[in-house]
Amino acid sequence: MDEAAVQDIPTHDVIMIGAGPAALSAAIYTTREDIETLLFERGVIGGLAAVTDKIDNYPGFPDGVEGLNLAQDLQKQAERFGAVIELGEVTAIEDEGEFKRLETTSGTMRARAVLIATGSDYKKIGVPGELELYGRGVHYCATCDGAFYRGKTLAVIGGGNSAVQEAMFLTRFTTHIDLVVRSTIKASDVLQQDLQKFVDDGKITIHLGTITDEIVGVDNAVDKVMATKDGQKVEFKVDGVFVFVGLSPNSQFLKDTPVELDEVGLVLSNEDLQTNLPGVFVAGDIRSGATMQVASAVGEGATAALKIREYLEGRAHPVQN
Amino acid sequence: MPKNITIFTTNTCGYCVMVKKYLTAKGLGYEEVNLDQSPHRQAEALSLSGAMTVPVTVVTKNDDTREVIVGYNLARLAPAVA
Repeated sequence: MDEAAVQDIPTHDVIMIGAGPAALSAAIYTTREDIETLLFERGVIGGLAAVTDKIDNYPGFPDGVEGLNLAQDLQKQAERFGAVIELGEVTAIEDEGEFKRLETTSGTMRARAVLIATGSDYKKIGVPGELELYGRGVHYCATCDGAFYRGKTLAVIGGGNSAVQEAMFLTRFTTHIDLVVRSTIKASDVLQQDLQKFVDDGKITIHLGTITDEIVGVDNAVDKVMATKDGQKVEFKVDGVFVFVGLSPNSQFLKDTPVELDEVGLVLSNEDLQTNLPGVFVAGDIRSGATMQVASAVGEGATAALKIREYLEGRAHPVQN
Repeated sequence: MPKNITIFTTNTCGYCVMVKKYLTAKGLGYEEVNLDQSPHRQAEALSLSGAMTVPVTVVTKNDDTREVIVGYNLARLAPAVA
């Protein structure tokens, strides 16, 4: 590409890929330092936090905070300092030395520094019926789809914080929930204490050591969940299934780039949260070694922003558009 | 520009916020049907989308053809409202 054509490519100080808690926190820090910052979000601003009913362990909120409210406040704060959020997707990153070249749904762009903060999505369990009945009885977002189960019965699959938190949220709609847990409940002690109240009230029944084998549909709707417990086949007659069995990294777009990933697809970084590509940083759930907490994502975002500032200060002056 | 846009939402749905945000950014008006406030319209949303989920966005074009977009799907929503 000739020099004139390169000059026509929109160029930014920092492009952040994702607009969840990590990127929004980073953007608050970069924009307050007058570092021009563009964020790309292909899904929901606020990431998984925005579709979580309530976040109880984020510091500063003694009564917990609704995920959607936290996400909207983070967005407002970042935008107050000048962050620009574009609804779209980055599909490739290429290292051109001082600049990183990004292919996006808004065309080719360049940035002096990049923050990868694409987070993760809920993992599928991979049993027969799961994909076939997706949206017709199999769900991954309680705050989106729970309202369709007023007066009905559900199975929630999983035993971590998300499964327990969302099962309790879903009791506001349902008559009963079977909580199907592969091994033991891994949720925090506080959540387990809250869960016990719903168990005592007969709203939730916990099935430990129960492996989901199949989600069975009849007439294009969920009819029952088939599972195995202690070597015996068991079944749960339910109207719908919500799955919360862990997280899957949003790193597919990095597969054909030079950015190094670990064996599960999380982005590798050094102690400065910088990837193997100089000027490309990573923060939040997508980082190999991350603790998958909103609070730690926010902290990593702030750290990444400060490291980006150091990186940019060691280079030429920020771009003038 | 479409003739009419209707979005089925719930109070707690983050993806519904995104659809509304996108349409507002494009300067497009819409009618919102909140299923927490109007649960009797759930069956209508289900029959339009075939899915028990929100958001469901119904775009009525000037020739009265209709496009139904399930979820926050920019790849379908953007051309439908262009």
